[in-house]
Amino acid sequence: MSRAKTPEDQYIQRDRMRFIKNSACANLCYLGLLFDVFYFVTIYRQDVGSYYYNIQIGASVVYNLVFLLAVFLSSEAVKNYKRNYSIVLIVAGVMQIVRMFVIPARAHGAQTLVNGEEVAVMSDGTFTKAVVYLGISAAAILFAAVLNYIRCTQLEAHVKSLEANKA
Amino acid sequence: MAELSLQHIDKIYDNNVQAVFDFNLDVKDGELIVLVGPSGCGKSTTLRMVAGLEDISNGHLLLDGKDITQTPAKDRDMAMVFQSYALYGHMTIYENMAFSLTLRKEDPNVIHKKVLAAAEILGLTSQLNKKPAQLSGGQRQRVAMGRSIVRNPKVFLFDEPLSNLDAKLRGATRREILLLHKRLQATMLYVTHDQTEALTLADRIVCMSMGHVQQVGTPLELYDSPNNVFVASFIGLPPMNFYDVKVVGKELQGNGLKVALSDEEQAVLAGYQGKEITLGVRPENFTEGTEFKVTVTNNENLGMNTLVYGTGEGNVKVTAKLKGWKNYKVGETAGFNIVRKHFFDKETTNAIRGDK
Repeated sequence: MSRAKTPEDQYIQRDRMRFIKNSACANLCYLGLLFDVFYFVTIYRQDVGSYYYNIQIGASVVYNLVFLLAVFLSSEAVKNYKRNYSIVLIVAGVMQIVRMFVIPARAHGAQTLVNGEEVAVMSDGTFTKAVVYLGISAAAILFAAVLNYIRCTQLEAHVKSLEANKA
Repeated sequence: MAELSLQHIDKIYDNNVQAVFDFNLDVKDGELIVLVGPSGCGKSTTLRMVAGLEDISNGHLLLDGKDITQTPAKDRDMAMVFQSYALYGHMTIYENMAFSLTLRKEDPNVIHKKVLAAAEILGLTSQLNKKPAQLSGGQRQRVAMGRSIVRNPKVFLFDEPLSNLDAKLRGATRREILLLHKRLQATMLYVTHDQTEALTLADRIVCMSMGHVQQVGTPLELYDSPNNVFVASFIGLPPMNFYDVKVVGKELQGNGLKVALSDEEQAVLAGYQGKEITLGVRPENFTEGTEFKVTVTNNENLGMNTLVYGTGEGNVKVTAKLKGWKNYKVGETAGFNIVRKHFFDKETTNAIRGDK
Protein backbone atom coordinates (compact mmCIF):
# COMPACT_ATOMS: atom_id res chain seq x y z
CA MET A 1 0.00 0.00 0.00
CA SER A 2 1.43 3.37 -0.94
CA ARG A 3 1.59 5.98 1.79
CA ALA A 4 -0.39 9.21 1.58
CA LYS A 5 1.41 12.06 -0.14
CA THR A 6 2.57 14.80 2.16
CA PRO A 7 2.69 18.43 0.99
CA GLU A 8 6.46 18.00 0.75
CA ASP A 9 6.05 14.99 -1.53
CA GLN A 10 3.70 16.98 -3.72
CA TYR A 11 6.17 19.86 -3.83
CA ILE A 12 9.01 17.53 -4.84
CA GLN A 13 6.82 15.93 -7.49
CA ARG A 14 6.13 19.32 -8.99
CA ASP A 15 9.80 20.26 -8.72
CA ARG A 16 10.86 17.06 -10.46
CA MET A 17 8.93 18.19 -13.52
CA ARG A 18 11.61 20.84 -14.07
CA PHE A 19 14.07 18.07 -14.89
CA ILE A 20 12.05 15.00 -15.84
CA LYS A 21 10.40 14.68 -19.23
CA ASN A 22 6.64 14.27 -19.44
CA SER A 23 7.01 10.66 -20.53
CA ALA A 24 3.57 9.56 -19.32
CA CYS A 25 1.80 11.88 -21.74
CA ALA A 26 4.15 10.98 -24.57
CA ASN A 27 3.58 7.29 -23.93
CA LEU A 28 -0.19 7.81 -23.95
CA CYS A 29 0.20 9.45 -27.36
CA TYR A 30 2.17 6.45 -28.61
CA LEU A 31 -0.59 4.20 -27.31
CA GLY A 32 -3.12 6.27 -29.24
CA LEU A 33 -1.01 5.90 -32.38
CA LEU A 34 -0.67 2.15 -31.88
CA PHE A 35 -4.41 1.59 -31.61
CA ASP A 36 -4.99 3.79 -34.63
CA VAL A 37 -2.66 1.49 -36.56
CA PHE A 38 -4.65 -1.52 -35.29
CA TYR A 39 -7.79 0.24 -36.48
CA PHE A 40 -6.70 0.97 -40.03
CA VAL A 41 -5.07 -2.43 -40.46
CA THR A 42 -8.40 -3.97 -39.42
CA ILE A 43 -10.23 -1.89 -42.03
CA TYR A 44 -7.73 -2.23 -44.89
CA ARG A 45 -7.19 -5.97 -44.61
CA GLN A 46 -10.85 -6.67 -45.37
CA ASP A 47 -11.42 -8.37 -48.73
CA VAL A 48 -14.62 -6.70 -49.84
CA GLY A 49 -14.02 -6.18 -53.54
CA SER A 50 -14.34 -2.60 -54.68
CA TYR A 51 -16.52 -1.44 -51.79
CA TYR A 52 -13.87 0.90 -50.43
CA TYR A 53 -12.76 2.21 -53.87
CA ASN A 54 -14.13 5.72 -53.43
CA ILE A 55 -13.16 9.16 -52.25
CA GLN A 56 -14.02 8.29 -48.67
CA ILE A 57 -11.25 5.73 -48.31
CA GLY A 58 -8.79 8.09 -50.00
CA ALA A 59 -9.67 10.78 -47.49
CA SER A 60 -9.34 8.21 -44.72
CA VAL A 61 -5.80 7.29 -45.82
CA VAL A 62 -4.76 10.94 -46.01
CA TYR A 63 -6.33 11.65 -42.64
CA ASN A 64 -4.49 8.70 -41.15
CA LEU A 65 -1.19 10.11 -42.32
CA VAL A 66 -2.03 13.56 -40.95
CA PHE A 67 -3.21 12.00 -37.68
CA LEU A 68 -0.02 9.93 -37.28
CA LEU A 69 2.18 12.93 -37.95
CA ALA A 70 0.23 15.32 -35.72
CA VAL A 71 0.04 12.96 -32.77
CA PHE A 72 3.70 11.97 -33.08
CA LEU A 73 4.84 15.60 -33.17
CA SER A 74 2.54 16.36 -30.26
CA SER A 75 4.02 13.47 -28.30
CA GLU A 76 7.46 15.06 -28.67
CA ALA A 77 6.08 18.45 -27.67
CA VAL A 78 4.20 17.25 -24.60
CA LYS A 79 7.33 15.45 -23.51
CA ASN A 80 8.75 18.94 -23.00
CA TYR A 81 5.62 20.32 -21.31
CA LYS A 82 4.24 22.34 -24.24
CA ARG A 83 0.73 23.21 -23.11
CA ASN A 84 -0.64 24.31 -26.50
CA TYR A 85 -0.21 20.84 -27.90
CA SER A 86 -2.99 19.69 -25.58
CA ILE A 87 -5.36 21.43 -28.01
CA VAL A 88 -3.95 19.45 -30.94
CA LEU A 89 -4.38 16.27 -28.96
CA ILE A 90 -7.94 17.10 -27.95
CA VAL A 91 -8.85 17.67 -31.60
CA ALA A 92 -7.14 14.42 -32.60
CA GLY A 93 -8.90 12.52 -29.82
CA VAL A 94 -12.31 13.91 -30.66
CA MET A 95 -11.72 13.09 -34.32
CA GLN A 96 -11.04 9.46 -33.37
CA ILE A 97 -14.50 9.33 -31.82
CA VAL A 98 -16.02 10.98 -34.90
CA ARG A 99 -14.30 8.38 -37.09
CA MET A 100 -16.31 5.63 -35.41
CA PHE A 101 -19.39 7.07 -37.16
CA VAL A 102 -17.76 7.30 -40.57
CA ILE A 103 -16.29 4.11 -42.05
CA PRO A 104 -17.16 1.51 -39.38
CA ALA A 105 -20.73 2.69 -38.84
CA ARG A 106 -21.44 2.86 -42.58
CA ALA A 107 -19.72 -0.39 -43.49
CA HIS A 108 -21.36 -2.28 -40.66
CA GLY A 109 -24.57 -3.78 -42.06
CA ALA A 110 -23.73 -2.78 -45.68
CA GLN A 111 -23.70 -5.43 -48.40
CA THR A 112 -21.42 -5.71 -51.44
CA LEU A 113 -20.84 -8.08 -54.34
CA VAL A 114 -17.71 -10.26 -54.22
CA ASN A 115 -17.37 -12.82 -57.07
CA GLY A 116 -21.05 -12.41 -57.86
CA GLU A 117 -22.10 -13.14 -54.32
CA GLU A 118 -23.55 -10.63 -51.90
CA VAL A 119 -21.55 -10.46 -48.70
CA ALA A 120 -21.57 -8.27 -45.58
CA VAL A 121 -18.87 -5.57 -45.76
CA MET A 122 -18.12 -5.60 -42.06
CA SER A 123 -18.98 -8.37 -39.66
CA ASP A 124 -20.14 -7.62 -36.11
CA GLY A 125 -16.79 -8.80 -34.79
CA THR A 126 -14.76 -6.56 -37.10
CA PHE A 127 -17.03 -3.60 -36.33
CA THR A 128 -16.58 -4.13 -32.59
CA LYS A 129 -12.82 -4.40 -33.00
CA ALA A 130 -12.62 -1.23 -35.11
CA VAL A 131 -14.74 0.75 -32.66
CA VAL A 132 -12.81 -0.52 -29.63
CA TYR A 133 -9.47 0.37 -31.28
CA LEU A 134 -10.68 3.87 -32.11
CA GLY A 135 -12.15 4.21 -28.63
CA ILE A 136 -8.90 3.23 -26.89
CA SER A 137 -6.94 5.49 -29.24
CA ALA A 138 -9.28 8.41 -28.50
CA ALA A 139 -9.21 7.78 -24.74
CA ALA A 140 -5.41 7.61 -24.63
CA ILE A 141 -4.98 10.77 -26.63
CA LEU A 142 -7.61 12.73 -24.72
CA PHE A 143 -6.14 11.57 -21.42
CA ALA A 144 -2.68 12.66 -22.62
CA ALA A 145 -4.12 16.06 -23.53
CA VAL A 146 -5.77 16.60 -20.16
CA LEU A 147 -2.81 15.29 -18.17
CA ASN A 148 -0.42 17.45 -20.15
CA TYR A 149 -2.58 20.51 -19.56
CA ILE A 150 -2.69 19.86 -15.81
CA ARG A 151 1.03 19.22 -15.55
CA CYS A 152 1.97 22.22 -17.64
CA THR A 153 -0.20 24.44 -15.47
CA GLN A 154 1.32 23.00 -12.30
CA LEU A 155 4.83 23.38 -13.64
CA GLU A 156 4.23 26.95 -14.73
CA ALA A 157 2.87 27.86 -11.31
CA HIS A 158 5.76 26.08 -9.60
CA VAL A 159 8.40 27.85 -11.68
CA LYS A 160 6.69 31.17 -11.03
CA SER A 161 6.71 30.53 -7.28
CA LEU A 162 10.40 29.58 -7.42
CA GLU A 163 11.20 32.76 -9.29
CA ALA A 164 9.16 34.79 -6.83
CA ASN A 165 11.02 33.19 -3.92
CA LYS A 166 14.34 33.88 -5.60
CA ALA A 167 13.41 37.52 -6.12
CA MET B 1 32.34 5.44 8.52
CA ALA B 2 34.59 3.56 6.12
CA GLU B 3 37.96 2.11 6.90
CA LEU B 4 39.67 0.24 4.15
CA SER B 5 42.42 -2.28 4.60
CA LEU B 6 44.47 -3.79 1.80
CA GLN B 7 46.45 -6.75 3.06
CA HIS B 8 49.23 -8.44 1.07
CA ILE B 9 47.47 -7.86 -2.22
CA ASP B 10 48.95 -9.23 -5.42
CA LYS B 11 47.70 -8.97 -8.96
CA ILE B 12 48.85 -11.67 -11.34
CA TYR B 13 47.30 -11.70 -14.80
CA ASP B 14 46.48 -14.89 -16.72
CA ASN B 15 49.70 -14.53 -18.73
CA ASN B 16 51.64 -14.66 -15.43
CA VAL B 17 52.55 -10.98 -15.56
CA GLN B 18 52.48 -9.63 -12.02
CA ALA B 19 51.24 -6.04 -11.88
CA VAL B 20 51.06 -5.53 -8.12
CA PHE B 21 53.31 -7.05 -5.46
CA ASP B 22 52.37 -7.42 -1.80
CA PHE B 23 50.38 -4.19 -1.48
CA ASN B 24 49.60 -3.26 2.13
CA LEU B 25 47.69 -0.18 3.19
CA ASP B 26 45.29 0.83 5.94
CA VAL B 27 43.06 3.73 4.99
CA LYS B 28 41.46 5.53 7.90
CA ASP B 29 37.90 6.84 7.83
CA GLY B 30 37.68 10.13 5.95
CA GLU B 31 41.23 9.93 4.68
CA LEU B 32 42.23 10.97 1.17
CA ILE B 33 44.91 8.63 -0.09
CA VAL B 34 46.65 9.35 -3.36
CA LEU B 35 48.32 6.53 -5.30
CA VAL B 36 51.03 8.08 -7.41
CA GLY B 37 53.58 6.67 -9.77
CA PRO B 38 54.58 6.52 -13.42
CA SER B 39 52.49 4.78 -16.07
CA GLY B 40 52.41 1.02 -15.63
CA CYS B 41 53.34 1.07 -11.94
CA GLY B 42 50.12 -0.71 -10.91
CA LYS B 43 48.25 2.16 -9.29
CA SER B 44 45.15 1.95 -11.49
CA THR B 45 45.18 -1.84 -11.21
CA THR B 46 45.17 -1.50 -7.43
CA LEU B 47 42.26 0.92 -7.59
CA ARG B 48 40.35 -1.39 -9.92
CA MET B 49 40.94 -4.28 -7.52
CA VAL B 50 39.50 -2.17 -4.71
CA ALA B 51 36.51 -1.29 -6.90
CA GLY B 52 35.99 -4.94 -7.79
CA LEU B 53 36.67 -4.42 -11.49
CA GLU B 54 39.75 -6.67 -11.30
CA ASP B 55 40.11 -9.90 -9.34
CA ILE B 56 42.52 -9.93 -6.44
CA SER B 57 45.02 -12.74 -7.07
CA ASN B 58 46.28 -12.97 -3.49
CA GLY B 59 45.59 -11.10 -0.29
CA HIS B 60 42.55 -9.62 1.35
CA LEU B 61 40.54 -6.45 1.03
CA LEU B 62 38.62 -5.38 4.12
CA LEU B 63 35.99 -2.66 4.34
CA ASP B 64 35.15 -1.74 7.93
CA GLY B 65 36.66 -5.03 9.01
CA LYS B 66 34.53 -7.10 6.62
CA ASP B 67 36.34 -9.14 3.99
CA ILE B 68 35.07 -8.00 0.58
CA THR B 69 37.77 -9.65 -1.52
CA GLN B 70 35.22 -11.78 -3.37
CA THR B 71 32.29 -9.34 -3.16
CA PRO B 72 31.01 -8.24 -6.59
CA ALA B 73 31.65 -4.61 -7.55
CA LYS B 74 27.98 -3.65 -7.32
CA ASP B 75 27.76 -4.76 -3.70
CA ARG B 76 30.90 -2.99 -2.44
CA ASP B 77 29.27 0.38 -1.84
CA MET B 78 32.04 2.22 -3.62
CA ALA B 79 31.74 4.81 -6.36
CA MET B 80 34.34 5.34 -9.03
CA VAL B 81 35.06 8.44 -11.07
CA PHE B 82 36.84 7.74 -14.35
CA GLN B 83 39.18 9.85 -16.41
CA SER B 84 36.79 9.65 -19.37
CA TYR B 85 33.77 10.76 -17.25
CA ALA B 86 31.67 7.83 -18.59
CA LEU B 87 28.51 9.94 -18.90
CA TYR B 88 25.51 8.94 -20.99
CA GLY B 89 25.39 11.36 -23.91
CA HIS B 90 21.66 11.00 -24.59
CA MET B 91 20.69 11.75 -21.00
CA THR B 92 20.50 15.13 -19.32
CA ILE B 93 22.82 15.93 -16.42
CA TYR B 94 19.92 15.33 -14.02
CA GLU B 95 19.23 11.93 -15.55
CA ASN B 96 22.93 11.02 -15.54
CA MET B 97 23.20 11.84 -11.86
CA ALA B 98 19.97 10.05 -11.01
CA PHE B 99 20.66 6.99 -13.15
CA SER B 100 22.35 4.72 -10.63
CA LEU B 101 19.62 5.39 -8.06
CA THR B 102 16.89 4.82 -10.64
CA LEU B 103 18.44 1.44 -11.42
CA ARG B 104 18.25 0.63 -7.72
CA LYS B 105 14.56 1.55 -7.83
CA GLU B 106 14.84 4.20 -5.16
CA ASP B 107 11.90 6.51 -4.48
CA PRO B 108 11.90 9.21 -7.21
CA ASN B 109 11.37 11.92 -4.61
CA VAL B 110 14.41 10.75 -2.66
CA ILE B 111 16.43 10.62 -5.89
CA HIS B 112 15.34 14.17 -6.67
CA LYS B 113 16.49 15.44 -3.28
CA LYS B 114 19.85 13.71 -3.58
CA VAL B 115 20.48 14.94 -7.11
CA LEU B 116 19.63 18.52 -6.21
CA ALA B 117 21.82 18.36 -3.11
CA ALA B 118 24.77 17.01 -5.11
CA ALA B 119 24.21 19.56 -7.87
CA GLU B 120 24.19 22.31 -5.26
CA ILE B 121 27.49 21.10 -3.80
CA LEU B 122 29.09 20.96 -7.23
CA GLY B 123 27.54 24.15 -8.61
CA LEU B 124 25.66 22.29 -11.32
CA THR B 125 22.10 23.34 -10.49
CA SER B 126 21.76 25.52 -13.57
CA GLN B 127 23.13 22.79 -15.82
CA LEU B 128 20.76 19.98 -14.86
CA ASN B 129 18.66 20.15 -18.02
CA LYS B 130 21.66 20.15 -20.35
CA LYS B 131 23.27 17.21 -22.10
CA PRO B 132 26.92 16.32 -21.36
CA ALA B 133 28.01 17.56 -24.80
CA GLN B 134 26.89 21.07 -23.83
CA LEU B 135 29.24 21.20 -20.82
CA SER B 136 32.95 21.91 -20.52
CA GLY B 137 35.40 19.18 -19.50
CA GLY B 138 35.55 20.43 -15.92
CA GLN B 139 31.77 20.52 -15.64
CA ARG B 140 31.51 17.00 -17.05
CA GLN B 141 33.99 15.78 -14.48
CA ARG B 142 31.89 17.45 -11.79
CA VAL B 143 28.85 15.59 -13.13
CA ALA B 144 30.80 12.35 -12.86
CA MET B 145 31.59 13.24 -9.26
CA GLY B 146 27.97 14.17 -8.65
CA ARG B 147 26.90 10.78 -9.88
CA SER B 148 29.13 9.29 -7.20
CA ILE B 149 27.96 11.66 -4.48
CA VAL B 150 24.26 10.85 -4.92
CA ARG B 151 25.00 7.23 -4.12
CA ASN B 152 26.51 8.24 -0.80
CA PRO B 153 29.07 5.45 -1.05
CA LYS B 154 31.41 4.38 1.71
CA VAL B 155 34.47 4.94 -0.45
CA PHE B 156 35.10 7.23 -3.42
CA LEU B 157 37.57 6.03 -6.02
CA PHE B 158 39.09 8.46 -8.51
CA ASP B 159 41.05 7.12 -11.48
CA GLU B 160 43.06 10.03 -12.90
CA PRO B 161 39.97 12.27 -13.01
CA LEU B 162 41.80 15.40 -14.10
CA SER B 163 43.95 13.99 -16.88
CA ASN B 164 41.56 15.09 -19.64
CA LEU B 165 41.46 18.70 -18.47
CA ASP B 166 43.69 21.57 -19.49
CA ALA B 167 46.16 22.93 -16.94
CA LYS B 168 44.02 25.81 -15.70
CA LEU B 169 40.88 23.73 -15.34
CA ARG B 170 42.87 20.98 -13.68
CA GLY B 171 43.96 23.35 -10.94
CA ALA B 172 40.41 24.60 -10.40
CA THR B 173 38.89 21.11 -10.37
CA ARG B 174 41.63 19.91 -8.02
CA ARG B 175 40.62 22.58 -5.53
CA GLU B 176 36.99 21.55 -5.94
CA ILE B 177 37.86 17.93 -5.15
CA LEU B 178 39.69 19.07 -2.05
CA LEU B 179 36.70 21.16 -0.94
CA LEU B 180 34.42 18.24 -1.67
CA HIS B 181 36.53 15.97 0.48
CA LYS B 182 36.48 18.46 3.33
CA ARG B 183 32.72 18.83 3.01
CA LEU B 184 31.87 15.14 2.72
CA GLN B 185 34.61 13.85 5.01
CA ALA B 186 34.51 10.70 2.92
CA THR B 187 37.17 8.06 2.48
CA MET B 188 38.77 8.59 -0.91
CA LEU B 189 41.33 6.76 -2.99
CA TYR B 190 42.75 8.86 -5.78
CA VAL B 191 45.05 7.68 -8.55
CA THR B 192 47.26 10.06 -10.46
CA HIS B 193 50.61 10.20 -12.19
CA ASP B 194 50.84 13.91 -11.46
CA GLN B 195 52.92 14.52 -8.36
CA THR B 196 51.51 18.05 -8.00
CA GLU B 197 48.02 16.58 -7.60
CA ALA B 198 49.38 14.08 -5.12
CA LEU B 199 51.15 16.69 -3.02
CA THR B 200 48.24 19.12 -2.98
CA LEU B 201 45.38 16.69 -2.39
CA ALA B 202 46.63 13.86 -0.25
CA ASP B 203 46.40 13.25 3.44
CA ARG B 204 48.84 10.45 2.67
CA ILE B 205 50.58 9.46 -0.54
CA VAL B 206 51.37 5.95 -1.70
CA CYS B 207 54.24 6.15 -4.16
CA MET B 208 54.48 3.12 -6.45
CA SER B 209 56.94 1.82 -8.98
CA MET B 210 56.90 -1.41 -10.99
CA GLY B 211 54.03 -2.80 -8.89
CA HIS B 212 55.81 -2.22 -5.59
CA VAL B 213 54.96 0.34 -2.93
CA GLN B 214 58.01 2.54 -2.54
CA GLN B 215 56.81 4.74 0.28
CA VAL B 216 53.64 5.61 2.17
CA GLY B 217 53.55 8.90 4.01
CA THR B 218 52.32 12.45 4.18
CA PRO B 219 53.23 14.72 1.28
CA LEU B 220 55.86 16.40 3.46
CA GLU B 221 57.41 13.08 4.43
CA LEU B 222 57.73 12.03 0.80
CA TYR B 223 59.16 15.38 -0.21
CA ASP B 224 61.44 15.88 2.75
CA SER B 225 62.47 12.33 3.61
CA PRO B 226 62.17 10.16 0.53
CA ASN B 227 62.77 6.48 1.21
CA ASN B 228 64.85 5.90 -1.88
CA VAL B 229 66.15 7.37 -5.11
CA PHE B 230 62.92 6.58 -6.96
CA VAL B 231 60.70 8.53 -4.56
CA ALA B 232 63.24 11.35 -4.41
CA SER B 233 63.29 11.61 -8.19
CA PHE B 234 59.52 11.25 -8.65
CA ILE B 235 58.36 13.72 -6.04
CA GLY B 236 59.36 17.30 -6.68
CA LEU B 237 59.47 19.41 -9.80
CA PRO B 238 62.00 19.80 -11.35
CA PRO B 239 63.29 16.46 -10.10
CA MET B 240 66.12 16.08 -7.64
CA ASN B 241 69.74 16.22 -8.89
CA PHE B 242 71.75 13.07 -8.21
CA TYR B 243 75.52 12.77 -8.04
CA ASP B 244 77.77 9.75 -7.47
CA VAL B 245 80.20 10.85 -4.79
CA LYS B 246 82.63 9.31 -2.33
CA VAL B 247 82.73 10.12 1.37
CA VAL B 248 86.27 11.33 2.00
CA GLY B 249 86.93 12.68 5.48
CA LYS B 250 84.72 15.74 6.04
CA GLU B 251 83.63 16.11 2.48
CA LEU B 252 82.00 14.45 -0.50
CA GLN B 253 84.10 14.13 -3.64
CA GLY B 254 83.47 12.89 -7.11
CA ASN B 255 83.04 13.99 -10.72
CA GLY B 256 84.75 17.27 -9.98
CA LEU B 257 82.45 17.84 -7.04
CA LYS B 258 83.77 18.79 -3.61
CA VAL B 259 81.12 19.39 -1.01
CA ALA B 260 81.84 19.98 2.65
CA LEU B 261 79.83 18.05 5.22
CA SER B 262 78.49 19.46 8.45
CA ASP B 263 79.12 17.65 11.74
CA GLU B 264 75.62 16.27 11.66
CA GLU B 265 76.03 14.99 8.09
CA GLN B 266 79.34 13.41 8.99
CA ALA B 267 77.60 11.54 11.79
CA VAL B 268 74.95 10.27 9.39
CA LEU B 269 77.60 9.08 6.94
CA ALA B 270 79.91 7.66 9.59
CA GLY B 271 79.50 4.13 8.26
CA TYR B 272 80.19 5.20 4.70
CA GLN B 273 83.74 6.56 5.04
CA GLY B 274 85.62 5.82 1.83
CA LYS B 275 82.53 4.42 0.18
CA GLU B 276 80.56 5.66 -2.77
CA ILE B 277 77.07 7.04 -2.15
CA THR B 278 74.48 8.97 -4.14
CA LEU B 279 74.08 12.59 -3.21
CA GLY B 280 70.65 14.09 -3.89
CA VAL B 281 70.04 17.81 -4.06
CA ARG B 282 66.67 19.35 -4.83
CA PRO B 283 66.85 22.23 -7.34
CA GLU B 284 65.34 24.55 -4.73
CA ASN B 285 68.10 23.59 -2.27
CA PHE B 286 70.70 25.43 -4.33
CA THR B 287 71.46 29.05 -3.56
CA GLU B 288 73.87 31.37 -5.28
CA GLY B 289 77.35 30.90 -3.80
CA THR B 290 80.82 29.60 -4.47
CA GLU B 291 80.76 25.98 -3.30
CA PHE B 292 79.83 24.48 -6.64
CA LYS B 293 80.68 26.07 -10.01
CA VAL B 294 78.89 25.25 -13.27
CA THR B 295 78.73 26.52 -16.82
CA VAL B 296 75.20 27.71 -17.54
CA THR B 297 73.46 25.91 -20.41
CA ASN B 298 70.02 27.45 -20.02
CA ASN B 299 68.21 30.09 -17.96
CA GLU B 300 64.41 29.89 -17.63
CA ASN B 301 62.56 32.68 -15.88
CA LEU B 302 59.31 31.55 -14.26
CA GLY B 303 58.44 34.84 -12.62
CA MET B 304 58.96 34.18 -8.93
CA ASN B 305 61.79 31.72 -9.64
CA THR B 306 64.46 31.08 -12.20
CA LEU B 307 65.53 27.64 -13.34
CA VAL B 308 69.23 27.56 -14.11
CA TYR B 309 70.58 24.54 -15.97
CA GLY B 310 74.31 23.98 -16.00
CA THR B 311 77.13 21.54 -16.42
CA GLY B 312 79.93 21.23 -13.92
CA GLU B 313 83.32 19.51 -13.96
CA GLY B 314 83.17 15.93 -15.19
CA ASN B 315 80.00 16.72 -17.14
CA VAL B 316 77.93 16.86 -13.95
CA LYS B 317 74.45 18.16 -14.74
CA VAL B 318 72.82 20.67 -12.42
CA THR B 319 69.31 22.06 -12.28
CA ALA B 320 68.91 24.86 -9.77
CA LYS B 321 65.74 26.70 -8.85
CA LEU B 322 66.75 30.12 -7.62
CA LYS B 323 64.46 32.68 -6.03
CA GLY B 324 63.71 35.79 -8.06
CA TRP B 325 64.47 36.83 -11.60
CA LYS B 326 67.99 35.89 -12.74
CA ASN B 327 69.65 36.56 -16.04
CA TYR B 328 72.47 34.05 -16.49
CA LYS B 329 73.83 33.94 -20.01
CA VAL B 330 74.54 30.64 -21.70
CA GLY B 331 78.23 29.81 -21.22
CA GLU B 332 78.51 32.03 -18.17
CA THR B 333 79.89 30.51 -14.94
CA ALA B 334 77.49 30.32 -12.02
CA GLY B 335 78.31 29.36 -8.45
CA PHE B 336 75.97 27.61 -6.05
CA ASN B 337 75.86 26.54 -2.43
CA ILE B 338 73.94 23.48 -1.31
CA VAL B 339 71.69 24.15 1.66
CA ARG B 340 70.14 20.71 2.05
CA LYS B 341 71.49 17.30 1.06
CA HIS B 342 69.93 13.85 0.74
CA PHE B 343 72.10 10.74 0.91
CA PHE B 344 71.31 7.40 -0.70
CA ASP B 345 73.07 4.07 -0.56
CA LYS B 346 74.54 3.48 -3.99
CA GLU B 347 73.79 -0.25 -4.05
CA THR B 348 70.32 -0.41 -2.50
CA THR B 349 69.29 3.12 -3.56
CA ASN B 350 67.68 3.45 -0.11
CA ALA B 351 67.99 6.66 1.84
CA ILE B 352 70.75 6.91 4.40
CA ARG B 353 68.65 8.07 7.31
CA GLY B 354 69.31 10.94 9.63
CA ASP B 355 69.92 13.25 6.69
CA LYS B 356 69.65 16.89 7.66
